[in-house]
Amino acid sequence: MFDVEKIINILKSGGLVVMPSDTVYILAVDATNKLAVEKLLKFKNRWVGKAISVAVCNIDMASLYADINDIEQNIYSSLLPGPFTLISKGKHKVAKGIEAEDGSLGIRIPDNKLIQKVIEKLGKPISATSANLSGRRPHYSVESFLKTLSVTKRNMIDLIVDEGKLVRNKPSTVIDIRESEMKILRRGELIAKNAKSFISKSERETQKIAGLVFKKIEKPIILGLSGDLGTGKTIFSKEIGKLMGVKEKIVSPTFNIYNDYGDFLHMDLYRINNQLEIDEIKFFEIISGKKIVCIEWIENLGKENIDKLKKISNLKIITFNYIDETTREIKL
Amino acid sequence: MKILAIETSCDDTCAAVLENAKIISNVISSQTDLYKEWGGVVPNIAKQAHKERIDLVIDKALRGDLADIDVIAVTQGPGLAVALGVGIDKAKELAKKYSKKLVAVNHIEGHIMSSFFDHEIKFPALCLTASGGHTKLILINKIGDYKIVGETLDDASGEALDKAAKMMGLGYPGGPIIERLAKGGNEKILELPKVLRDNKILDFSFSGIKTSFYYKIKDLPKAEIAQNIKDYAACFQNSVFEQLCRKFKLAIEKYQPKMLLASGGVMCNLELRKRLRNLAKEMNLPINMPYKKELNTDNAAMIGLAAYYKAMRGEFVEDIEKLERDARMKL
Repeated sequence: MFDVEKIINILKSGGLVVMPSDTVYILAVDATNKLAVEKLLKFKNRWVGKAISVAVCNIDMASLYADINDIEQNIYSSLLPGPFTLISKGKHKVAKGIEAEDGSLGIRIPDNKLIQKVIEKLGKPISATSANLSGRRPHYSVESFLKTLSVTKRNMIDLIVDEGKLVRNKPSTVIDIRESEMKILRRGELIAKNAKSFISKSERETQKIAGLVFKKIEKPIILGLSGDLGTGKTIFSKEIGKLMGVKEKIVSPTFNIYNDYGDFLHMDLYRINNQLEIDEIKFFEIISGKKIVCIEWIENLGKENIDKLKKISNLKIITFNYIDETTREIKL
Repeated sequence: MKILAIETSCDDTCAAVLENAKIISNVISSQTDLYKEWGGVVPNIAKQAHKERIDLVIDKALRGDLADIDVIAVTQGPGLAVALGVGIDKAKELAKKYSKKLVAVNHIEGHIMSSFFDHEIKFPALCLTASGGHTKLILINKIGDYKIVGETLDDASGEALDKAAKMMGLGYPGGPIIERLAKGGNEKILELPKVLRDNKILDFSFSGIKTSFYYKIKDLPKAEIAQNIKDYAACFQNSVFEQLCRKFKLAIEKYQPKMLLASGGVMCNLELRKRLRNLAKEMNLPINMPYKKELNTDNAAMIGLAAYYKAMRGEFVEDIEKLERDARMKL
């Protein structure tokens, strides 16, 4: 493993660290250290006034550096950690050059254990700008990044945490949440319409959204998936199962009604038409004692059963809507 | 050796009697003459339906008493858990009551076996089994030695056909209806995606075709769908069969079997049978498919045949009390 202490010591002394994140390689400095930030700006050839986003380890830390009201708090807990940068109103507690000229601050909580640990131990936000020179593409490997640098620039880097080639995730999606309507400033990995609604443009994005949902799960839950044929319910469920650690292939349970994978139960009520059949499959019995249950076509349960389910379990309904051939909206 | 076999893994309540590898009787509850006895109303998946029918189905298959039966066979899985339970409970009850040996059979092995009746099989053989619940390519080195070399990543092929039929407002099961409509239809009227093009992948995927098809016809006026229904059916069916044959061919090239087998409910489709025969001819290999519908769809005769070979190998259930259904049983 990487030496967290070493990274922290370098950050504390104002050093510049290249390290992996959940999206691309980033350039990390202590965001509250004036000299370190100056060094970063110089490295990136970036003029002061064009903001640099920061990474924090949780919402509590975010609220020390930005004004976050209740509505914004909701958005934070729904989207982070995840591939988003949220633009909030800064409290001017970071070094000059981090906040934008209008006083806004871009905040991330990367979904990366190493970064979270570093920030937690450092106790301060770090810069989370992608490892590239201004105007250039981000990098997924240290090697390709270093190739673009002059010797002078290379000498400015104090530590490189090389994790090899990263999965080619897009950079984060940047969303301004200061107004009541969220504004997407840069389209990245995932698109969020608001705190509870995502746009998926591919199977992979639906999987990412499932990943985001999975990360928020803290206690046993039933995910009721509602939506038309071919909107991604099975893809979503498969990803949840995979994240639960199911090793075998998870296939459509339409024919068998449900597939039991131990802690994970994958159910599909597409073929269920009436109360008799719900009773016959012993619905309320088979869903009990599971950590996560995904139920496709939850609407086929009928209102009464859904109300009952709400009372006895932690039920979350997720709806899948068809927008066009390659676009789905997933509402939490 | 006389075998009574019971199969209740899904919708159909089935029982059969075999004398060694030969079928004496093969009764399936969804046959029309049996429907009448229950007044026609048969819920699709209810356990109660299996419970109501199982005794009658077994009686019909036995045509006598259980005394001269040597072995009782039952499907242990995979399938719908509650449905499996009915067959297993009945098999356990009879085995105990009449002190018979019990053999537990994997439903998929049954489907493989359904193409074995009245034929000499050359090994290694490669079997495509496609039904409402399964779509698999299985390499058979010898009876009892199976390797799954490809399978669906999402929907089964029969399930995809059923769902497409439902989208067009047709009945269930949709496979036979689509087959009827597809005859003479224009397969090229819609452009459906050709999925899993990678020649190294022997797995199947049908949910992408299903989704593409659905959203192509979803907003069309009903009259237009009705007018072109033959073409739509042909188009969807072609897309499913194209993939089945394409992946089957890849597997043949990779594993070089001496014989091809095909089974499962989808093999009732004459167009698919024709395509598979052509494929076999092209590959210069013999092909075996169950010769009648009742051996393609879920049935107990295939379970009986698998049990016959298991019994010959001495693979009986040791502790009858402990036999439990296994809804996701592996082959």
